[in-house]
Amino acid sequence: MTYVVTEQCIKCKYTDCVEVCPVDCFREGAEMLVIDPETCIDCAVCEPACPVDAIKPDTHPDGIKWKELNERLSLIWQEVTVKSEPLPGAESFAAEAGKFEKYLKNQLEP
Amino acid sequence: MSNLREATILSVHHWTDRLFSFTATRDPSFRFLSGQFAMIGLRTEAAPIMRAYSMVSPSYAEALEFLSIKVPDGPLTSRLKLVRPGDTLLLGGKSSGTLLTSNLRPGRRLFLISTGTGLAPFMSIIRDPEVYEQYERVVLVHNCRTVEELAYRDLLTSELHTDEWIGADVAQKLTYIPIVSREPFENRGRVTDWMRDGSLFSTVGSAAELHAEDRFMVCGSPQMLSDFCGIMDDWGFAEGSSNRPGQFVIERAFVDK
Repeated sequence: MTYVVTEQCIKCKYTDCVEVCPVDCFREGAEMLVIDPETCIDCAVCEPACPVDAIKPDTHPDGIKWKELNERLSLIWQEVTVKSEPLPGAESFAAEAGKFEKYLKNQLEP
Repeated sequence: MSNLREATILSVHHWTDRLFSFTATRDPSFRFLSGQFAMIGLRTEAAPIMRAYSMVSPSYAEALEFLSIKVPDGPLTSRLKLVRPGDTLLLGGKSSGTLLTSNLRPGRRLFLISTGTGLAPFMSIIRDPEVYEQYERVVLVHNCRTVEELAYRDLLTSELHTDEWIGADVAQKLTYIPIVSREPFENRGRVTDWMRDGSLFSTVGSAAELHAEDRFMVCGSPQMLSDFCGIMDDWGFAEGSSNRPGQFVIERAFVDK
């Protein structure tokens, strides 16, 4: 088991998680973060650190869905270990549903 | 992993054939808060093997101390149990963890509930003077299967009371409750049963009942954590984090996988 970043992170990227991760397993894209499942030690410290509850165990119904995305993007995106400002308008995007379809899907497909 | 540094093993103590603790040198630049964990490990012929371990030592201590089980064929613990003074220990640069009073809303009594090696972070917290400034009473529960697994019992029952820095606080404010589940002992059973039937609270001074201003930190086996979270749900207590301080925080006692 590992933890995964779910759709909730898209357009928010609060990055509180990257500071608490003891193994630096977060990878950063323009719109969201993902967790490298090869590096994650399943310590669970990041889960409550996320202000928008975007991080779930990969056994959680919300987590299972995003597992493959985390695996795939963690191979491409760069490590992030230092917290930065959330994306502009993060608060207004926090509760929005269907963010993957709206904001990320097109960017990931060639 | 970034920033692996080297420390030197100073001492090793074997509590039982399944449980040991050890101390190591601390680089002054290695910072942590009492209750946090870090990655420690050993070099092998292949890649270093690193696992998460809570610091037993308080944040101000000059040396680092860790408590570990010995897992038969465990990739790290089967090697770690053989370390001797002078050996090299690897230490990750970053400490982390949820067992921080800043993740809890202000309260009056703090219950630190542990099973097995889950005691480790609480050994750190109960030696930090800050916790006694924040709470009127600190209750440390250590639940083990056997009496000999009650690590640090002598330290907790006597030596700490004469510590020149925190002895007075410990004597006045700390209650240590060892509980054993599988053999005769003055306190028998499981801590989660003690919570449900209220006997945990009746052992602590005048306010015997669970109080709205009670706060909990928990570290232990997955089974205990699951039972504990069920109790918190029933009581309507919320898990705390740095963003949303609550009434309890949990951390698993890491095991060698």
